[in-house]
Amino acid sequence: MPDLLSLVVQQTINGVYLGCLYVMVALGLTLIYGVMNQINFAHADFVTVGAFVALFTMTRLATKMLGMPEVAGYLLSIVFALGAGALLGLAVNAAVFAPLRDRGDELRPLIATIGVSVLLENGQLALFGPIPYQFDSPLAKETLRFGKIFFSLQNVLVVAVSAAAVAALYAFLKFTFLGKALRAVSQDRETSGLMGINQSFLIGLTIVIASALAGMGGALLGPGLVLDPFAGATVIVKAFAIVIIGGFGNLAGTILAGILVGIIEAFTIQYLGAGLIDLVVFVLLLTMLVVKPTGLIAERREENV
Amino acid sequence: MSGNLASASLAAGPALLQAQGLHKSFGGVRAVQDISLAVPAGAIFAVIGPNGAGKSTLLNLLSGTYQPNAGTLAFAGRGLVGMPAHKRVRLGIARTFQKIRLFKQLTLLENVLAGFHIHHDVPAWQYFLPAGAFWRDFRRCREEARALLDFVGLADEAQKRAGALPYGRQRMLEIARAMATRPKLLMLDEPAAGLNAAEVALLLDRLQQIRARGITVIVVEHNMDLVMNVADRVFVMDHGEYLFEGAPREVQANPRVIAAYLGGEFA
Amino acid sequence: MAPRWPWILVAVAVIALLPHLLGTPYWRGILVICAMNVMLALSLNLILGYTGQLNLGQSGFFAVGAYVTTVLVKSFGWGFWPAALAAVAAAGTLGLLLALFAVRLRGHYLAIASLGFAVITYQVLVNWESMTEGVRGIYAIRPPPPIRIDGLVDISFSSPMMLFYLVAGIALLVYLALDNVVRSPIGETLRAIREDEVSAASLGIDAARWKAFAFGLGAAVAGLAGCFYPSFVGTLVPGAFNIVESFTMLAMVIVGGLGTMIGPVIGAVVLTFLPELLRGVGELRLLVYGLALTLVVLFMPGGLVQAWQLLRARFAGGRP
Repeated sequence: MPDLLSLVVQQTINGVYLGCLYVMVALGLTLIYGVMNQINFAHADFVTVGAFVALFTMTRLATKMLGMPEVAGYLLSIVFALGAGALLGLAVNAAVFAPLRDRGDELRPLIATIGVSVLLENGQLALFGPIPYQFDSPLAKETLRFGKIFFSLQNVLVVAVSAAAVAALYAFLKFTFLGKALRAVSQDRETSGLMGINQSFLIGLTIVIASALAGMGGALLGPGLVLDPFAGATVIVKAFAIVIIGGFGNLAGTILAGILVGIIEAFTIQYLGAGLIDLVVFVLLLTMLVVKPTGLIAERREENV
Repeated sequence: MSGNLASASLAAGPALLQAQGLHKSFGGVRAVQDISLAVPAGAIFAVIGPNGAGKSTLLNLLSGTYQPNAGTLAFAGRGLVGMPAHKRVRLGIARTFQKIRLFKQLTLLENVLAGFHIHHDVPAWQYFLPAGAFWRDFRRCREEARALLDFVGLADEAQKRAGALPYGRQRMLEIARAMATRPKLLMLDEPAAGLNAAEVALLLDRLQQIRARGITVIVVEHNMDLVMNVADRVFVMDHGEYLFEGAPREVQANPRVIAAYLGGEFA
Repeated sequence: MAPRWPWILVAVAVIALLPHLLGTPYWRGILVICAMNVMLALSLNLILGYTGQLNLGQSGFFAVGAYVTTVLVKSFGWGFWPAALAAVAAAGTLGLLLALFAVRLRGHYLAIASLGFAVITYQVLVNWESMTEGVRGIYAIRPPPPIRIDGLVDISFSSPMMLFYLVAGIALLVYLALDNVVRSPIGETLRAIREDEVSAASLGIDAARWKAFAFGLGAAVAGLAGCFYPSFVGTLVPGAFNIVESFTMLAMVIVGGLGTMIGPVIGAVVLTFLPELLRGVGELRLLVYGLALTLVVLFMPGGLVQAWQLLRARFAGGRP
């Protein structure tokens, strides 16, 4: 294989891997926006919490206390991170979104979750300190090689788990009663209320699912991150960019945009340098906002006066 | 073309506002279809029709809140199509809303004061450092605002928050706020909705006074007593289309209107 | 309008006395920071509190003020005051640029776009090393030059106290100018946009134009605060203009009282001094900010100003 081609393939694979991680985070933001038109600014900090929970589960609980093999310990830690995310989702819903929901203010819940985000980041700073942690996934050591193209079992795991999560989410939305009710809520809040669907429950459920995805994303993303208390902040800006490029509340658009941003990031690192990633992604975002604020796949609605 | 134009041309006096073949649809639903009308200067021009007839959409097209998909629109000879709502206000077109849209957190006085937006004559620097012209403008606006609040019977509540007013009074406040723009044409979207009998009587009297000041009025309304008492011309819509236009008496007598809308009420 | 001059006199007296009450250089330094924070909170409040647009890009304008001033002085040999003027103009112009987005975007979209703006500004500071020195930072930045008029005045700004008088004096002037603006018909126009844009348009208000006004003016004020930051700290690194700075401004505005003039001032003072008082427990500044922001939004959306009003109403009502 010519060098250039293998380089492009290699970077595309890296990009898809990164993209899958971002999709985990961005999907949650989009799901929440779909059912309640709100943004959880602390969403990406759930990723950081998930990563720390996974790290400590693996290194302290699983391998040391339970004597599990490393790989099993890592897989267990993914489950724990998912649970931690879900719990955080429950908490932020109970503390912020549920009490503010009926006041019809667009910005207040967002501002409150900015507070939660600052709180979580600095709470973790107090607990874990500012020095980045080493989070080695046992799967990262196992590399596969095809010609000049390399990837690790960790890459395979991330792509597989996120694909499975996306598939499960789609199946849930499409085939279960709750999923259908959830879609009804995101399409038309007023009418679905009349159909006897318990909206508070559905919104709570959505936030928990979304946050669990973020927590799990932390366990998967953790080994690739510079894991300090502010790790989530670097992800959130990209997650926002993805959600806007994909169209708020639009699942397919978000997945597409997530992969796209992942690939753009991989090629930016290759050709322009890692320091410019945020710059490139945000210039893309701002361009998108000007050219097509409703996202890649969406229609425009006129306000009803 | 429809018989619409023929009847429009029957209107007395020169037309202040003229529309030709207006169309508006939302995602395939035609809200307004081929509407042509001429509003004579100085008249009270009522637009009636059953729910969903497209009356409010029509008003939104006239005010610039929506832009039409097709058709022309002229105010005192100037084309309006493509002109945003805020620019039409400078020509002298003001409006109220069916779903009341007051500035709820502001006081009644502040709501009316905001209506003077296009009439301030103050050098820019004086907004940062008030001097003579600023204070003259300040006093003049406040006087005028109080007069307008008085006009709609709300002078005693000037310092209350608009959101705290009862519904009927909110409608009257919206009229005062629109009047602050010093319009030539005032468009009211269901001003009598939610008003009690006394408030409707006040509204009727004020509409006549507004006309007496030389302001042309377009009123979208469901309250037939009010329309029949105050309107000079009545324009009837159904399913987004023109149905009939004439003097109140003619409308009451027209069998098509009765069939479509009035039913047994006026038979 | 009630006459303001007694309050202006009180403010002048407080500003004059503060450095004497807090006599150590450390506390006088905190006072300078506090005066800067007051300006920053006022700048965000104009946009968020009065115009209703959540702008998370203020840290970017603060940065532009600081960097343009410093680079013009150190690399291009400008005098401090012309450089500061250019910096304010640069920040204001960028504010107008961001307003181009604000015109098309509402609510959440604007919040994210403005966040993006702050991130881009930060990244430019880090990456444009030939101009900003990147993360290495710019060192040995001198305070503003003394103001000398022979035989009349000779004011040097090399001590924290004099620097405080300078920044606090400018903050007071900014407060008065903005107070005049929001009490003027412009105030009604901005608040009309905040409450309902469609309704505002029905009164002839061009929301795009007035949002641009608020963004431009707010950005210029943030830039003005930025001019004094480097000469006080002596060094300039991009880390000081992280997007977290936007959140601290947000916390000051919300905690003090959104959409009032005095609220953000109180918020800035409280949130500058509160973490200093808690210093014994470690570096908890941002923890305090996050907690305060969330709790106030949830339980006292009008901030300390609202709390004070409620308290006063209770005591006034409780009297026989």
